[in-house]
Amino acid sequence: MSMRLGPQPGEVLDRTRPFTFTWNGREVPAYQGDTIASALAAAGVRVFSRSLKYHRPRGLLTASFHDPGCIVQVDDEPNVRGAHRLARPGMRVRSQNTWPSLNFDVKAINQLAGRFLSAGFYYKTFIRPRWLWPTYERVLRRFANGGEVPPEAAGDYYDKRYAHPEVLVAGGGPAGMAAALAAADAGASVLLVEEEHQLGGHLCWGDEADLAALRGLSERVAAAPGIEVLCDSAVLGRYEGNWIAVVQRTVPGVAERLVKVRAGTLVVASGLIERPYVFAGNDIPGVMLSTAVRRLINLYAVKPGERAVVLTGNGDGDAAVADLKRAGVTVAHIADARLGDDIVRAHGRGRLRSVELPDGRRVDCDLLVTATGWTAPAALLTMAGDRPVYDPRAARYFPDPARLPEDVLAAGGIAGDGSLDELLAHADAVGAEAARRATGAGDGPVPIPTLPVDAHPALFRGRTHGIVDFCEDVSSTDLVQAVEEGYRSVELVKRYTTVTMGPTQGKLEAVNAVAIVAEATGRSIGETGTTTWRPPYVPVTLGALAGRVFEPVRYSPMQPWHEAHGATPLVAGAWIRPDHYGDPHAEARTVRGDVGIIDVTPIGKLDLRGPDVPKLLNLLYVNKWSKLDVGRVRYGVMCADDGVVLDDGVTGHLGPDHYLMSTTSSGAATVWEWVENWLQTQHPDWQVHVTPLTTAYASMNVAGPRSRELLERVTEGVDLAGEAFPYMNVRTGRVCGVDDCVLWRIGFTGELSYELHIPAAYGLHVWETLMERGHDLGIAPFGVEAQRILRLEKGHLIVGQDTDGLTRGFSAGLDWAIKLDKDDFVGKPELAWQQEAGEYPRLVGLQPLDGSVVPEEACQIVDPPRRADRRPRIVGRVTSSRMSPILGRSICLAQVDAHLAAPGTQVTVRLPDGRHIPARVTDHLAHFDPTGDRLRV
Amino acid sequence: MPTRPRPRRYPARYSAFSLLRHGLAGDHLVPAWRDRELKNSYDVVIIGGGVHGLATAYYLAANHGITDVAVLDKGYVGSGGSGRNTAILRSNYLTPEGVRFYDRSVRLYERLAADLNYNVMFSQRGHLTLAHNDSSLRTMRWRAEVNKLEGVDSEVVGPAEIKKLVPYLDVSAAVRYPILGALYHPPGGIIRHDAVVWGYARGASGYGVHIHQNTEVTGIDVAGGPNGRRVRGVRTDRGDIAASTVINCTAGWSTLVAEMAGVRLPIQTFPLQAAVTEPVRPFLDAVVVSGSLHVYVSQTDRGELVFGASVDPFAGYSMRGSLEFVEGLAGHVLELMPSLAKVRLLRQWAGLCDMTPDFSPIMGRTPVDGFLVDVGWGTYGFKAGPVSGEAMADCVATGRTPDIIAPFGVERFAEGRLLGEKGAAAVGH
Repeated sequence: MSMRLGPQPGEVLDRTRPFTFTWNGREVPAYQGDTIASALAAAGVRVFSRSLKYHRPRGLLTASFHDPGCIVQVDDEPNVRGAHRLARPGMRVRSQNTWPSLNFDVKAINQLAGRFLSAGFYYKTFIRPRWLWPTYERVLRRFANGGEVPPEAAGDYYDKRYAHPEVLVAGGGPAGMAAALAAADAGASVLLVEEEHQLGGHLCWGDEADLAALRGLSERVAAAPGIEVLCDSAVLGRYEGNWIAVVQRTVPGVAERLVKVRAGTLVVASGLIERPYVFAGNDIPGVMLSTAVRRLINLYAVKPGERAVVLTGNGDGDAAVADLKRAGVTVAHIADARLGDDIVRAHGRGRLRSVELPDGRRVDCDLLVTATGWTAPAALLTMAGDRPVYDPRAARYFPDPARLPEDVLAAGGIAGDGSLDELLAHADAVGAEAARRATGAGDGPVPIPTLPVDAHPALFRGRTHGIVDFCEDVSSTDLVQAVEEGYRSVELVKRYTTVTMGPTQGKLEAVNAVAIVAEATGRSIGETGTTTWRPPYVPVTLGALAGRVFEPVRYSPMQPWHEAHGATPLVAGAWIRPDHYGDPHAEARTVRGDVGIIDVTPIGKLDLRGPDVPKLLNLLYVNKWSKLDVGRVRYGVMCADDGVVLDDGVTGHLGPDHYLMSTTSSGAATVWEWVENWLQTQHPDWQVHVTPLTTAYASMNVAGPRSRELLERVTEGVDLAGEAFPYMNVRTGRVCGVDDCVLWRIGFTGELSYELHIPAAYGLHVWETLMERGHDLGIAPFGVEAQRILRLEKGHLIVGQDTDGLTRGFSAGLDWAIKLDKDDFVGKPELAWQQEAGEYPRLVGLQPLDGSVVPEEACQIVDPPRRADRRPRIVGRVTSSRMSPILGRSICLAQVDAHLAAPGTQVTVRLPDGRHIPARVTDHLAHFDPTGDRLRV
Repeated sequence: MPTRPRPRRYPARYSAFSLLRHGLAGDHLVPAWRDRELKNSYDVVIIGGGVHGLATAYYLAANHGITDVAVLDKGYVGSGGSGRNTAILRSNYLTPEGVRFYDRSVRLYERLAADLNYNVMFSQRGHLTLAHNDSSLRTMRWRAEVNKLEGVDSEVVGPAEIKKLVPYLDVSAAVRYPILGALYHPPGGIIRHDAVVWGYARGASGYGVHIHQNTEVTGIDVAGGPNGRRVRGVRTDRGDIAASTVINCTAGWSTLVAEMAGVRLPIQTFPLQAAVTEPVRPFLDAVVVSGSLHVYVSQTDRGELVFGASVDPFAGYSMRGSLEFVEGLAGHVLELMPSLAKVRLLRQWAGLCDMTPDFSPIMGRTPVDGFLVDVGWGTYGFKAGPVSGEAMADCVATGRTPDIIAPFGVERFAEGRLLGEKGAAAVGH
C-alpha cells in the first residue's frame, strides 16, 4: 500500500526522476531525493530491523541519521543509516541480523525469555561447566548486531583535505546560517558544515513562514563570498587548538573525505535532538518522535500512518498534530503533557494496535507520536572542556559558557530558546564575535544577547518501563536493576547494561538513562552527572580516517639496476634493498676471491661540523675520539644511559672541524634524534652543526682482494697504495669522473674494501661504471644476505641482532672499545658497574660439532636437565647463524652466560624440533681470518 | 601457597536457576558489593580500585583470611586502566621470568569465572603476533623457543597457516609490509575487563572487604627517620585512616602516590590510546597484533572491533584521544585487512600507562616498611591482575616476597638486574 502523499511545499523529492532499488530482494520505487527509509516507508514498509537482544521488530523512530531502527546493509557496506543515506537506482538494501527473514525471525523467541535476560544476565550464567563456555560464546556471537563485512576489499577511493577557515560553523540550521553570514559579513572566511543533505535544519520541515525564512537565508548564504558550505558532512571531533575533523560525503568519485580543519573559532550550532519517551511498548513500529513524522510528511511526502495518538509537551508536538491533519491522518487522541496528560503503554506486536491511557481507555491507532523534549548534543562543546549544566525548569542541559575556551562559541537551540527572530539575532552576534576573535578585526567584543529559557515538563519515563537504549535493547528496568545490584555510578550503569554504548552513542538515550539512574538512586539529575562524550561525534569509516594509504618507500639511486639484474627485494624498515641476485653463496665467494660490490645507501650518514665535534663524539661513543687525525676513521659504539648497546658505525675526520658519522641502517633516524637531543637539551653551548646526509649520498662498498685494482682504474686525486691509504683511513676525491666522493677504507666483510659515498645523483653512473670497468676482474654484485654471511665469518656483530634491548657494552664483546678512564660518556656509570659486577653474559663465536647443522637464529642454549621431568634451564641463545661457504661448515654467534664463555666450552643447543645438539665456543668471534690480515693488505 | 579456605557463600549465588527464580518471582536483586561506613583504621589499605587492587584484596581474604581490608578509589571501581585497556590476555613473553608469571595469570583467569561465581567471559580464541621482517621473525622464534621451554603453547607459523586462522588478513607479498610469519599462541584471547573488576569486587566484598569509591588519597603518613621509615596510614578527602600496611595499586598515578610516602619510582606515565568500531558480524576469532604497524585488533562477542597501538610518544597525564592517532590506526588496520574500509569507528579514548625502563613491573616491598607497591604496569597490567593480586596477598600475609615476583623488586634498578621484556611487551598485546 503506497503511503506517498501528493507534492508538499517543502519536499526534497525530484518527482521527475523515479527509479527502483531492492529491499530484501523486493523492488521498491523511489524518487531522486528519497532516503532509503523514506522510500521504504512510502512503499508501506513499517519494520526495518530487529532489536539486539530480543529481536523485537523495529520501525522508524527519528527518521534522521541517528535513527536506531533503520540501520541496514547496502551492497557490501554494513550499518548504513537508512534514514539518512539517499536511495540510488539499483542499490541492494537488506535488513541485518535477521534469520530466516525480517518478518519471521527465529531469534525473536528471546522475547519469551525476556524476563530472565535481565541486565548483565551473561555475567551470571554459563559459568559451569567451564568447558561449555566456548559453545555458549559461539551462540552469543551469533547475536552480535551488525552488518556483514566482505572478505575482499572493494577498492573505494578515500581522500583527505586540509582547510584553514577563520570560522567553522558546525550546524547549518537557521542559527548556523545566521552565524556564518555574520562572520562572513565581518570579513572572516567561513566553513559551514551541515549533517543533512541540505541547509535549513528544522526550517526544512516547517510551515510556510519557516520555508520563506529558509529561502531568504539560503539565498544569502549562496551569495556570500566568504562561505564554503559542506552538506552531508559531519564535524567528528574538536581536538586541542581547534583542530577539527570533518567527514564530507559529497565529493564525486570519493567514498568519503576527511577534512582536517584548523579553525580560528568554532561556532557550535548543532541544534537539539528530540528525546524519546520511556514507556512500555515504546519500541513498537509505529511509535515515532514528532520530528520524525514532520520530516516524513514535509520533506519526503510520506504519510506516517492512518490513525494517530499524539503525546505533546511542546510546540513541536502541536505542529506535528497540524502536519498530521494536513496529511490526512486521523488524530484520534491528543495527550497534552503540559496539562498533566500522559500515556501508559503501547500495544501491538510487529505494528502498533492501540495506546493505553492513564484512565485505562485504549485508543486504537497505528501511529503514536511523542514530543517530550530535547537533548543538547553537547559533544563538541565537552570536547572543548565544557561541562553542561542541567536546568530542571527546561528539563535539559545547557552549555556553561564560563568553561568554554575563547575559540569556541555556541549558537542556536543548544544555547537557549526563543522565537526564530531571537535565535537569529543571537546567532548573528555570535557569528560576528567569532569573526572578531578569529581575525582580531573590529572594535571590541560584540555583545551577545542572552537567550530565554522556556519551561518544559520533565518527561523522561512514564509510569511504565520501556526501552531506553534502542540500539542496545536496554530497558529502564535494566537500569534500575543495575542500580539495585550496586552499580550506582552512571558510568558503572553504562558499562554494566551497555546503555549509550551502541551506534547512537547516547545522543538519543543518555539523558533518559541519567534521569532513570537518578530516580533509582534517589539523586537529582544534576547530581547524577553524565557519561563522557568521546570523539567521533558520529561514526566514521576507517577508510575516511586512513585516506589514501600513504606508506613511503625508500630506494637507492641504483634501484633500477638492481631490478634489471634480478635482485630479490628485502623490506628493511623504510628501505627496499637487494637481498641477493640469485645465489648468495656465490656472491660471498666472489668477494673472498675477486671483487664484489654492494649497495649500502641505507647506512645512516651525519655530517658534523664545528670545533666541538670531538666533545660530542667523546660523549656519545664509549671509545676515545680526542686524537683522530684528519684522514683517519674509527669504529665507534654508542650505548644508551643504561649501558645497553644502541648503535655502531665508523666516523671519519674529513677536514678541519669536519667529520662524517655513519650509523647502522636501521639506526639512522634514532641516532640523528639521539645526537640532536644531547646537543639541544644537554649541551646547547657546543658548536656542532648536524646535517643528515643519508640519502644525499649513494653508498656502495667495493670489497675483495681485487678492489684496489678496480678503484685505481676510476679514481683520480687519491693515492690508493696500501701505505698511502691504509686501513681505517678516509680520503676525498674523484671517482668515475664524479667530484667530492668520500672513500673510506674499512671492512665489514673482512676483505680489503672501500666504502664509497657518491653524491646521490651520480650513484647509478658510478655503479654502472664500476661494473663495466671491473668486468675483467670478475666483479659481481652482492646483496644483504651475502654480506651477512661474510660479516658472520668475520665475527662482526649486528646491533639489534647479536645484541638485544638488555645487552650492555661488555656483554657485546666490546671490552676493547669501552674506555672507562674517559671523563664521562653516556652509559659510563652503568658500564663501570657491569665491569665491576662481572658475571655478565657474553657474545661468543660458536660452532656446532656437526658442521652440517645450522641451528636457526634464536635457538636457545640450554643446560639439559638431569632428571627427565625437569625443564631445561636457558643459559644462552644463538643470535646469528649461517652456513659458511668458505669454511664449508655452520658458524654462529651466540650470547651465553658467563660460565660458558671460555673458548673450547661445549654447550647444548636446542633446535626448534626439540633435538639437542652439541656446539663448541670458538677462540675468537671471527671464524675466518681472526688476525685481520686480509683487511690490511 | 597455603591451602584455600572454603569460600563463604556469597549473599546471592549466580546461576541460571537464580536468574529463573528472579524472573518468575520478581524479587529484589542483591547488590554485588555492599556500601560500608569508612572506618578510621584497617589492617590493610589498598589504594586503587582496579583489577590489581581488588584482586589483592580478594586473595588476602580468600587465601589468607585477612579481611580487615579497605580498597580506596578516587572514582568508581575500574575507572582507570582496568576499564580502559583492550582486554587481551596472553603469556607468550620473552624472558623465562615473564613467561612463568603471565602463565600463572592466564591459568588463574581460566578458572576465574568459577572461582568468583561471575562470568568474566574469557575467550581463548588464540593470539597472533605478525612478523613483517626477518628481525621480528627472529624475535618471534626466540619467544616461541622460550615459551616452549617454559611449557607455554606458542609456535611460529607461516602465511598459509595465518590465512587459515584469519581469512581477512592480506598475506600477499604485494603489500608494503608483507606478512612473513607470526607467533601463534592458542591460549591467548580476550576477556570482559569490567566483569573481572566487578567479580573481584563482589568476591572481596563477600568476604567482608570494604570498597570505598569516590575516596581520594591525599597523603600517606610515614613515621621514622633516615634509617627506618614505617607507614602509619593514609589521608583521604573523607578522613584519615590508620593502617600498618598500605599497598599502592594506582598504575598511571603510581609515582604521585608513591611520592606521598617519600618513595621515588623509576616510572614515567604515558598515555595509551585505543578505539572501537560499530558492531559487525563476527569474522575475527584470534587477536591479531602487528608490531611493525603498531596496531592490534580483536573482535568482541558484541561484534565490535577493538583497536590499540603503542603508547603516545610523550609522557603525560592527558586522557584525551587525538585525531592523528585514529588516522594512523585506520591506515594500519586497512594495511592488514583492506576490506574493513567501510567499517565505522565508534569511539576513541585514552588511558595511562606507568612505564618502567625495562618494561617489567615493580612489585613488593619498598624502603618504607609496610608500604608496598604493585606498579609499573605499562601496557600489560590487565593481563597480570590475578597473579599480581595472589602474589601481593602472599607477600603481605607471609611477610616474604614470593618467588614468582622476586625478579620484579624495586631494588633491581639499584642492583643492575633489569628484565628485558621490551621485545615482547612494547606493542605486544
